[in-house]
Amino acid sequence: MTDAKQFEGFMRNYQNMVFSTAMRLLTNQSEAEDVTQEVFLRAYERFGELQGSPAVGGWLKTVATNLSLNHLSRYRSRWTFFSEIFTGDPDAGGEPEMEFADESNAGEELEARDRHAAVEQALQKLPTAQRVPLVLYHLEGLRYEEIAGKLGVSLGKVKTDISRGREALRKKLRLTLEPENSLTGNA
Amino acid sequence: MNPDYNKQLEAAISRELKALPELTAPAVLANRVMAALEQRARVPWYRHSWQMWPVVLQAAALVVLLVLFGGLCVAGWELSQAEATTLALHRVGEWFSGLSMIENTFKVLVSAAVLVVKKLGTGFIVTCLVAAGIGYAMCVGLGTVYFRLAFAKR
Repeated sequence: MTDAKQFEGFMRNYQNMVFSTAMRLLTNQSEAEDVTQEVFLRAYERFGELQGSPAVGGWLKTVATNLSLNHLSRYRSRWTFFSEIFTGDPDAGGEPEMEFADESNAGEELEARDRHAAVEQALQKLPTAQRVPLVLYHLEGLRYEEIAGKLGVSLGKVKTDISRGREALRKKLRLTLEPENSLTGNA
Repeated sequence: MNPDYNKQLEAAISRELKALPELTAPAVLANRVMAALEQRARVPWYRHSWQMWPVVLQAAALVVLLVLFGGLCVAGWELSQAEATTLALHRVGEWFSGLSMIENTFKVLVSAAVLVVKKLGTGFIVTCLVAAGIGYAMCVGLGTVYFRLAFAKR
């Protein structure tokens, strides 16, 4: 089998993972595709080392994360200042409540959808400032300090944003806290 | 918020997010990457960045550059010692004598500006600068509002 064919197989094995990482951070399909392409172009340069390495998944995820964050920071710095002024109520999760489903039909609407699709959609609707640290913490397994370092913000801001992001997700998914330490979703 | 609530919420959100399946990459993506790789392979080696060159060529390029640098240093030293160079430098200095006229004009303009500031008062100048700053901030703000409205998630 030629190198190109082997690489194509390798790419097909990992493309969903890389694309998911980029898509959840960027929430824009064409940008996520660009980042995924760039990740695999870089992987091709090191294909000899990566092939058969147990750390290949981690390497691809790290590169996808870094490229996505670079992409975000290129645009974010231009309007973050004003976007943060406009977020209003800190408990509102940075996005207007009208984005959520109406009380009366929220249950039906969520029931009608696939649970994962609902979570995915809720995650994508979070403001970037909350979604990115939330994804890095829960999906990429980074610690608060690492996230603060990667995003170039204070530790306190990371914790606050993640906390607000969780709260916003809880509201969007209509999760309710049960006294016996379990949460249930109405979806 | 009590710590128990935060822990429960963290666990629940973690469960929800970790349960998410991977998103499916577009079918054309693999073909796109392979096409980009083929295109890259067609580009001759000298059009790639230096890091991508074959090791032998990297070493050769390094040697050539070092030799060139050494040659330039030696030639520079030799030239600086020659009488002809002194003469040439003197001539070059003459060409640039016209620059003193520009310097004089600039000095006149600066002194005129100082006079204007004294006449109008610093308050007026500061007000003008503040107005310009506010105008700039308004442009940035309106641009940001437009950006957010245009690209708002619906």
